[in-house]
Amino acid sequence: MTDKKTTHFGFQEVPVEEKAGRVADVFHSVAAKYDIMNDLMSGGVHRLWKRFTIEISGVRTGDKVLDIAGGTGDLSYKFSRIVGPEGLVVLADINESMLRVGRDRLTDRGVSGNLVVAQADAQYLPFPDNTFDCITIAFGLRNVTDKDLALRSMLRVLKPGGRLLVLEFSKPQSQLLSKVYDTYSFRLLPAMGKLVANDPESYRYLAESIRMHPDQETLKEMMTAAGFANAHYHNMTGGIVALHKGVKP
Amino acid sequence: MKLDPTLHSAATASLETVINRALRYDPATRLKLAKLAGKSLVIDISGTDLSLGCHFDTDSVRIVGQIDNPTTRLSGSLSALLSLALSERLNLTGSGVEAWGNTALLTDLKSIGGQLDLDWEEALNELLGDILGHQLANSARAQLGWLRSRGASGKRLLQEFLTEELRAVPAAPQLQQFSDSVDQLRLATDRLGARVERLLHKRRSPSATE
Repeated sequence: MTDKKTTHFGFQEVPVEEKAGRVADVFHSVAAKYDIMNDLMSGGVHRLWKRFTIEISGVRTGDKVLDIAGGTGDLSYKFSRIVGPEGLVVLADINESMLRVGRDRLTDRGVSGNLVVAQADAQYLPFPDNTFDCITIAFGLRNVTDKDLALRSMLRVLKPGGRLLVLEFSKPQSQLLSKVYDTYSFRLLPAMGKLVANDPESYRYLAESIRMHPDQETLKEMMTAAGFANAHYHNMTGGIVALHKGVKP
Repeated sequence: MKLDPTLHSAATASLETVINRALRYDPATRLKLAKLAGKSLVIDISGTDLSLGCHFDTDSVRIVGQIDNPTTRLSGSLSALLSLALSERLNLTGSGVEAWGNTALLTDLKSIGGQLDLDWEEALNELLGDILGHQLANSARAQLGWLRSRGASGKRLLQEFLTEELRAVPAAPQLQQFSDSVDQLRLATDRLGARVERLLHKRRSPSATE
């Protein structure tokens, strides 16, 4: 009898080695309509969540920033303006389709000179130790197979004093909001996915993966266990989303 | 109570959009602000948890909730901050506003704000087209001019009516004379008080003056 290691893919249990492929399929499928769906699903609020992330990041002119799971490049665009020509922004994503959409979009918006694009797995970041002043991962950590491994990898490539910011869906802080949010996620979200992207399954996975993601306190403990100092979080929109921050000692 | 970061971000995003859109219609102010690139100002509203930060970039301003180590930090009540912003004074003494860091930034901002000249016609043209925009701007200018002249003459007429016809309030020279007399009286009273104090002191200890 073989004892195969499994992990969750939404509400399903799948072999560990299969998860990355399945997640990749979801994002290949949604890449083209990712921005439209994000705006539609969040009513545009995802822009405010990202805006707050940039504010908390404390990124300055000349900094080196790694935007993991950067997808369509929302954060990278803003960071490239802040760091200026002396700084560097690396837009990284494991998914080729998402990265292509992001790279094209940034090129269309005139971003060049201080931005590079890298297809990279958050668990095995292909950068030297102590490289970045700030790392962000927005709505990406829940799709990573081994989150602890990814956090340790991020710690390694951060400079001492560098900041990690994890923007991710989390646990609503009130019962009422939680019920409304469940109805929205499991009924409306797949329906919207079907209507706009003709892909209800991928959007059902997104809703399920949000529920399986560690809550605020658990993720904070995971960051501390990975070696981050001063790990803390800010709840946004009643805890639907949380921004975790930790510093490399 | 602390504001949810989502609401705070919405407020700063809206303010930033309004400011940057307005700056598009005033290239001179934009150029002056570009000289402040890299500097930042934080305003803390005392009695609340609210802070507002402003980063100056080469072609825009960024409004945020917090900035570590800003160039200048101002703190005061909302009313004190507003009255300082609206007045022409540059001195913070007695204004109820405290400042830390480089106060030259405040002087620069005050001077830039005083010369703000938005091209409303350009904004209207973009919205309504050149012909309609120009007509509307001309009409608005004429109306504004009429209102200004009516406002100025109305103020003068009201002043004359109150002082000359109704005699409800004194005229400015009379008020000035009265104010000067009060000042003289206050000084004389102060002098008298000091003299009485000296005499009392002399009486209590006659040897002190010897």
